[in-house]
Amino acid sequence: MKKLGSTDGARKATLSRRDIIKRGGALSGILLAGCDSQFYKPPLLRSGLMGVADVLTMATQRSLMSNDQLVQEHDPREITKNFPVWNQSNPEDEEYQRLKANNFEDWVLPVTGLVNNPTSISLSDLKNMSRRTQTTMHICEQGWSAIASWTGAPLLSVIQAAGGIKPQAKYVMINAYGGWYEGYDMFDVSHPQTILAYGMNGKDLPAGNGAPVRLRVERHCGYKQLKFIKSIEIVSTVEHYGRGTGGINSDFGFHWYAGA
Amino acid sequence: MFCLCVYLIMPQKKIIWIYRHSLSARICHWVMALSFFYLLYSGVMIFLHFPELYWGKVGFQGHPAIFKLEDWGISWEEAERLGDRRWGRNYHYLFAWIFLINGIVYLLCNVWRKAFYLKMFPKLSELSYRNLKSVFANHIRSSGKKVTSAVGYNVIQKLSYVFILFVLFPFMIASGLAQMPAFTAISPELIDLFGGRQTARTLHVVCTVLMILFFIVHLVQVFAVGAKNQVRAMITGNYERPESELEIPK
Repeated sequence: MKKLGSTDGARKATLSRRDIIKRGGALSGILLAGCDSQFYKPPLLRSGLMGVADVLTMATQRSLMSNDQLVQEHDPREITKNFPVWNQSNPEDEEYQRLKANNFEDWVLPVTGLVNNPTSISLSDLKNMSRRTQTTMHICEQGWSAIASWTGAPLLSVIQAAGGIKPQAKYVMINAYGGWYEGYDMFDVSHPQTILAYGMNGKDLPAGNGAPVRLRVERHCGYKQLKFIKSIEIVSTVEHYGRGTGGINSDFGFHWYAGA
Repeated sequence: MFCLCVYLIMPQKKIIWIYRHSLSARICHWVMALSFFYLLYSGVMIFLHFPELYWGKVGFQGHPAIFKLEDWGISWEEAERLGDRRWGRNYHYLFAWIFLINGIVYLLCNVWRKAFYLKMFPKLSELSYRNLKSVFANHIRSSGKKVTSAVGYNVIQKLSYVFILFVLFPFMIASGLAQMPAFTAISPELIDLFGGRQTARTLHVVCTVLMILFFIVHLVQVFAVGAKNQVRAMITGNYERPESELEIPK
């Protein structure tokens, strides 16, 4: 939490020998414990070898990660001029179009589910929260990458504005206009660089990049960076969403954990 | 009965069987072959959905590319129809794990049996310019004829296997990891080492091409020396050395 709102460059990641031993210990710990924690596996395990590979990938990467470590932040001079607009650029959703016509002044973000005080947050509320600006690289699973500077409120502050989570909460499901939805576990939600971004390169978030608000979860591929955010639900299970895998992309057969 | 008689009166060729490949080496070889095939195929499926290569940190459609499949007569739309990255991604990760675990098992077995030291690492004396030249000249002259040592590897074989195992494979793994946002979060040094994500992606493809070339040479050599004997040796472990081929192992 102490890092929230800081805009300084990425902490230089240095691995001391003690860190390596600690992390190596964590890895063998998981292997011995049989991966029982949701921290190391997707909400719905796929059958057969695919499920084994998913757990191996996620457990290896997660055991090497810490939420104190920020992803690399780039120099603002490295910002990509023509940042690509990928996938949906203008959701054909009546409500979205109505909000857009009014420059998103009526946009509100309901935060519901397993929070102590379900609430709705307006765009100006969001902009008044502690903010963070980060110049990071967007990595698309298809292969492209581009650098942009994102400004937004940490997702954790938004959840805290709703009174914090209840003990049984496990995942944060985010819904977007155009029918997209994607789930994230608390480890990613509580990362300081996980923000609800309303600004891009010093300006309001452009329409094609997810106006008015999009998510940045920097340790994941592009398809987890949900655009056109509509609502947030904190849940203990993701069963009631789509096919129950915890996101629209994993419903379509992509990896739920997109650390790659 | 008839068959037995024919067999008994047939002139017997004296065959010397040489136990050439250990069980672990044989299993690892075929698991590796299978994962190589799947990694290549799934990699192509992924690539076809973004058939351009760039250099540096960023790259996207419209950014100056160093390779475009379009220039080779396959348009972006055609490539997209041919590829299937959903299938590709799932199988690429699955077989990357099989490849990695198999590779670790192979390394440990060979370190344990000192096989790298005894069979694969060239001796210092072999690395002299004169020896390299003579082996290479011999190799060119005798290509297509069955004159290979049944027991040991010559220095060119040794060097190419060392290159594949200890340079290309690790490079392939590292350049793959450098493309993962989670791994660059864990170790930003990795992506800096490559000079950017797009460079890592491009080098991953370049290395793939090198491995395909190695694979072709490998197959050509297997057929040149005698595919039946070679493949049998890689399945049963036993390599047949007829008397005519007696050669003092180096």
